Amino acid sequence: MDLAKYRNLFLEEATEHLAEIGQALLTLEKDPRDGAALDLVFRMMHSMKGMGASLGYDAVSELAHRLEDRLGAWRKGGGIDDGQGVAMLFRGLESLERMVAAVRDTGEPPPPDEVLLALLGDPESPKKALRLS
Amino acid sequence: MTVRVLVADDARFMRQLIRDIIEPEGFEVVGEAADGRAAVEEFSRLQPDIVTMDIVMPKRSGIDAVKEILALDPTAKVAMVSALGQEALVTEALAAGAVDYIVKPFKPDSVISTLRKIAEKAP
Repeated sequence: MDLAKYRNLFLEEATEHLAEIGQALLTLEKDPRDGAALDLVFRMMHSMKGMGASLGYDAVSELAHRLEDRLGAWRKGGGIDDGQGVAMLFRGLESLERMVAAVRDTGEPPPPDEVLLALLGDPESPKKALRLS
Repeated sequence: MTVRVLVADDARFMRQLIRDIIEPEGFEVVGEAADGRAAVEEFSRLQPDIVTMDIVMPKRSGIDAVKEILALDPTAKVAMVSALGQEALVTEALAAGAVDYIVKPFKPDSVISTLRKIAEKAP
């Protein structure tokens, strides 16, 4: 894999995704049950997870995965029912922005946000995915 | 004979990655789609041998797109592109008629062998 090429693709697309997430969070701040905004943030987190995992940016993929899980539960439930939910998503956005900036500045995988990961709790076990086959 | 592939994924990063994995191995990416609706339209227009279909996409999910493609052409060969935590969705897609799946992050050898296996399947 041409790492430099994919790092640039990641920086470009991740920056767009984070801007879109930011806009959608402003909508969710006003209406935590806005389905279109929730769907968008869910999809963008899913995409951040995939790109991060492909490049070995575990901090990005892990955080996006946990946020995606949380968003998936809110989508099923018809909206964000947790008073702190939108604040948590803003915190996640901020953390992902720092990680993307770190990749841009250093070209290296960024460090994890252990505090936020602990707040979000464990995602589904990766081993579960391996059982697909 | 060259195997013609349509790549459906809302992330440019992933579309490029699949292209870079499969084209050196003799597959031809004849088209790309960034959402489920475009995937169905591009399938109709291009009639590819295989579609790689991401599950989470805007406008129409990958699973809905599979169902529509198979309604248009029951012999269509669609491989789902899944990620961690999507086991239930993959099962649903296979039940809907997808022939196989590849898992993100991609292992190039696994992607190639899965697509070769699909290409060799009788329609």
